[in-house]
Amino acid sequence: MDLIILSLPLFMKGLHNTLLMSLGATVIATVLGVVFALIQIFGNIFFRALVEIFLYLIRGIPLLVLLFTMYYALLYMGFRIDPLVGGTVVIGIYFAAFMAEVFRGGLLSVARGQWEAGYALGLRTKGVVLNIITYQALKVIGAPYVNTVIMVVKGTSLVAVIGITELTFVGRQIVERTLEPFLIFGVVAGIYVVICYSLSLLARYLERKIGYVN
Amino acid sequence: MLEGLTVTLLLSILAILFSGVWGVLVLLALRANQLFRVVGRIYVEIMRNTPIIVIMFFIFFGSGILGAPMTGFAAGLLSLVLQNGAYIAEIYRGGIQGVSKRQFEAGMALGFLPRQTFLLIVLPQAIRKVIAPLGTQGVMIIKDTAIVATISVAEMTFQARLLADRTAAVFEIFIALAGLYIIVTSIFNLGVRVLERKYGYKN
Repeated sequence: MDLIILSLPLFMKGLHNTLLMSLGATVIATVLGVVFALIQIFGNIFFRALVEIFLYLIRGIPLLVLLFTMYYALLYMGFRIDPLVGGTVVIGIYFAAFMAEVFRGGLLSVARGQWEAGYALGLRTKGVVLNIITYQALKVIGAPYVNTVIMVVKGTSLVAVIGITELTFVGRQIVERTLEPFLIFGVVAGIYVVICYSLSLLARYLERKIGYVN
Repeated sequence: MLEGLTVTLLLSILAILFSGVWGVLVLLALRANQLFRVVGRIYVEIMRNTPIIVIMFFIFFGSGILGAPMTGFAAGLLSLVLQNGAYIAEIYRGGIQGVSKRQFEAGMALGFLPRQTFLLIVLPQAIRKVIAPLGTQGVMIIKDTAIVATISVAEMTFQARLLADRTAAVFEIFIALAGLYIIVTSIFNLGVRVLERKYGYKN
């Protein structure tokens, strides 16, 4: 117990960075995900192929490898970018590939008739998407979106290996000094579970409240 | 790095197979009596909401303290199976729930016992439905094997890092590494696609 109280400040610092990176990466992943999804649906053949290839490559590479690549690339080229920022961007790009799938699936899940109805009313594609499709797509997107955010939060744990002081890194540091792996990693896991489980409750709530009921 | 490839492949194959089996056991626990159900539910939620790297550290460093140190490979495999078994149990559950209730009723009406109805009518349809999501999970497992590099298993990513520390050809090494992962996951995806086309669920 004493140990946990003693290490509380360190944990807080780790939690701070974990939350900061999760938030930043989620924002990047969301924005890029929307852009990718829109290009996949509406883009011309060239851009579509480009995005398609990019997403395929990203989906086949482990996040850890991308993080290492970024880390060594920065080191090697001598850029002075904060690894925390670099890590956040890489995680954001990686999960944008998952977000793109969520948004694309959501937009395409809206019945064809809704699109046609929009066009029949004289709206352009932009108007149809903004006024008709988006609201209905959001119902489908809600739950899988939150699930992807959970993946982002868990994904930030990997930056521990490039020396960023987030939760997992802090946990390892404390374990190296105290040799109490069960207690410390138990606490670390507990913190992640609290964050992610709350999010998954939110996902379930969204699914019940606004999701389509089959 | 190619030496590491064999370790990555071996770990991936074992992790995928054991996760598939462990997922069945977890699903059975989730459908058993109250006690098992509660324990199973807690287990699944903890596994799904904890980063795999934390689970690995917990098991790897924990086993050392207990006086029975596991090899990194064993600890990594165990972590992968524990987490992905939980995910896969949910996939199985979804697959079974995805089969229309009427199929079950039809089986009962034909005079099959509940057990026979499940095995002969519901299960084959459920298996068709889970091929695609299992394939996605398999790719996740293959990619997650990279994380065992952090508990010093000499697989691909670990080897690449060693090379990167020793040589100056950092970009070449990591591009090759990424390429190898893309090749491995592509071959796996191709296999899944073939299975899907042959046995998968068609609307």
